[in-house]
Amino acid sequence: MIFYECTQDNDMKNETKKTLGKKLKENLQSILEILTAEDILTYQFYTKDNVLCTAIYIDQITDKELLGSLIAKPLSLIDAPTTLEDAMKELYFPENSCEEDVTTICNKILAGNVALLIDNLQGAIVLGAKKISSRSVAEPPTSMTIKGPREGFIEDIKINMGLVRKRLKTAQLQFDMIQCGKQSQTSIAVVYLSGIANKKIVQQVKDKIASYEIDEVVDSSYIGKFLTARPLSLFKQVGTTEKPDIFCAKILEGRIGLIVDGSPIVLTVPYLIAEDFQGPQDYFASPYRATVSRFIRLFAILISLLLPAYYVAAQLFKLQLIPFGLLMTISASTKNIPLSPSIELFFLLVILEILLEASILMPKQVSLALSVIGALVLGDTAVKAGIVSTPAIIIVAISGISAYAVPELVGTSSIIRIILLVLAGSIGTFGILLGIALILYALLTMESFGTPLLAPFAPLVKKDLKDSLFKADLFDLKERPAVFKSKNKKRLLQKKGVENEQDKT
Amino acid sequence: MNKIKLRQICFLFIGMMPITKLLMYPSILPYYAKNDVVLSAAINFILQGIVIGFVLWLSKKTDCTFFQLLQNTFGKIIATIIYIIFILFLLFSSFMLITEQKAFVINTLYENTHTYFNFMPFFIVSFFACSKGLKTIGRVADLCMPIFLFAFIAIIGLSLSNINFSSILPIGGGKLGIFKGNLISSCWYTDCLYPLFFLGHFQYEKKSFLKIGISYGIGAICVMLFLAIYYGLYGDITILRQNSIAHIAKFTTAFTSIGRVDYVFVFTLTLVHVFYTIVPLQFASNGLIELFPKCNNILASAIINFVILLFIWMFTYDFSSIQIFYSQYFWIFASIFAYILPICAIFLKKERSTTDEKVLDV
Repeated sequence: MIFYECTQDNDMKNETKKTLGKKLKENLQSILEILTAEDILTYQFYTKDNVLCTAIYIDQITDKELLGSLIAKPLSLIDAPTTLEDAMKELYFPENSCEEDVTTICNKILAGNVALLIDNLQGAIVLGAKKISSRSVAEPPTSMTIKGPREGFIEDIKINMGLVRKRLKTAQLQFDMIQCGKQSQTSIAVVYLSGIANKKIVQQVKDKIASYEIDEVVDSSYIGKFLTARPLSLFKQVGTTEKPDIFCAKILEGRIGLIVDGSPIVLTVPYLIAEDFQGPQDYFASPYRATVSRFIRLFAILISLLLPAYYVAAQLFKLQLIPFGLLMTISASTKNIPLSPSIELFFLLVILEILLEASILMPKQVSLALSVIGALVLGDTAVKAGIVSTPAIIIVAISGISAYAVPELVGTSSIIRIILLVLAGSIGTFGILLGIALILYALLTMESFGTPLLAPFAPLVKKDLKDSLFKADLFDLKERPAVFKSKNKKRLLQKKGVENEQDKT
Repeated sequence: MNKIKLRQICFLFIGMMPITKLLMYPSILPYYAKNDVVLSAAINFILQGIVIGFVLWLSKKTDCTFFQLLQNTFGKIIATIIYIIFILFLLFSSFMLITEQKAFVINTLYENTHTYFNFMPFFIVSFFACSKGLKTIGRVADLCMPIFLFAFIAIIGLSLSNINFSSILPIGGGKLGIFKGNLISSCWYTDCLYPLFFLGHFQYEKKSFLKIGISYGIGAICVMLFLAIYYGLYGDITILRQNSIAHIAKFTTAFTSIGRVDYVFVFTLTLVHVFYTIVPLQFASNGLIELFPKCNNILASAIINFVILLFIWMFTYDFSSIQIFYSQYFWIFASIFAYILPICAIFLKKERSTTDEKVLDV
């Protein structure tokens, strides 16, 4: 693993480099001068010949069992070692190192390691005895599947790295460790396959993260923000997933992944908008079914964005857009409504957003009551009271449901939906067209680490169309996506002499 | 930044070039060419194709931009003057396209009151697009080609049931009218000038002539097919039916239970039209940056769009007068700038550019 330090605590950085001496008391004092918090504990024990040893650790995130059985016990049974190297030989511990720099030792203690000081020996032994409680690996709620793996990433970076390593047992898989966050010192693993991923992009990713100094990296979305070329854009520019199988598939395509400690959502770059139309089980279902599903998702997102705007534009500016029979039904429902169609739809969309927001934040026990209030009380009563019309409620409901066919774009689509509605209410269908044109221009000009967001459609990359909205059969996906310009292009080879059943027929 | 692929130019010809010829042109051309609309348009397409062929030959010989070629031949001052004249011509020709689009939008997409305010947001989109360089033209072409073909085939498919092809017979009866139709329609064929502005921004590849020829041919066939069908539908009253894409399929759909479903395709084609109308403005904006390197993308885009916006606002209620001016007088300038001068460009000093920028793969 490569340790690539992004930021350091300024207070520590500004101090002149201080190293440990031979006197245990002085050494301990210099460390405890920096680490003053009450959860930083020391454990003193003696070797067989009565030399004092002190282990410094953090209360909740260090494995005390290991500390006792693998550090204190072996040393207490022998005479004091003469060098730190000799001491390390006695400790059968997989992760250990000798350090002299006080700042480095403090940082490692803060990360959950144990620092062992032995009287009359210069420096300290740092032992990796981290024990951070985390939830177990479970199916992520944001991407459930009927067929296919059900593992999901969790908040622990080590476990997440293990989940990836479990799937990609290759020496080419690299985890470049970097740290970010002045106070949080959050570990980030930059994951890629050497020989497949573009090295320049790997370096760009590291440089971009290193160019920001922030107090705390709360979640991977912070790093996602650092990696975007246009932070103010409505559109996401970094791919996300919670599933190791999807993550590994993306890494195998030549993308670069980022696992951030404390976040179950991992990032991938470069990002293509077509990724969001690919469902978690597309690769485990038949290619026909997957293709149909992807087109349904595209259709759903179009419905979600355009239906409310189209309804308003048709009612206000061009009634011909609605078939005559339907127009009669709509006009019968809307004749006594005091609000104009645009205000009515706007009002309902805002209510929908409030309901969605509340249902996410509200405790589960209350969510049933919320559904009743939202669906029955608000919807039904509002129609009966003549405040809103039934077609408007239906349109908002269809639009709201359709947005969830592409969950990754829900946030973006809800904003665009309201913008298009306002345009439709102001200047009709031409407003919708101009809105679409502007969105397309914005998307066309956006790039994620040199890869156009709308690829493989614009610019057209013919080879990559096989796994875009269309999903070709596994045997046709012989090459990695050309858009990532991977040096190793082949991903599926048929060995000579092995005849395919398809060929026989 | 401004490099585009040959494929994207091909797609521009297939998926965008025909669209400007499908709004008013199918109803104006029969006024002169009568039932020989296809013949008249074919002559225009052949002339335009020859010009494109010459410019393509020029692109094989040099990798300089048009402005660099002018500079190499005439020196900086004269080159700047000539280039400014070309930019003004682009603005003039785009003014007609935008006016036409404005009339189409107002007549087709609104049933009730409208003001010039309805159309003005177009310039927000145009401003944004112009500030993003020529690369967007290529990407837009990639996107528009399938969209256009899908909508075009759908709208043609919907109109087929009502055509009477005997209306366009006998072919060749129009005589002088055919050529008169040619001349007045020159202002719809100014897009053969565009490849000149792509010079230096794309790399000549093997079989470029064939690829561009085929795609240009497909675009031309789309227009001629549309003209034939439209005349077949309305016969002698075609001249009264402006905004043709809104009328071509209406008899098939208007009285069905699904209603005017053809409007979905009309909207799609209008979207392509919006994209294509912005193209000359993007060239003009890019030209301004070439002339004055200190002028950044945003400023150049703002200047170009403000000028056109001002003209559109001034002539808000004069669509007929503009159309008459363009068809009666502007064809002379259009013929010179779109047909003659691009051919003359082959005599410019052809040198290799010193820049080493390669065309991007995607």
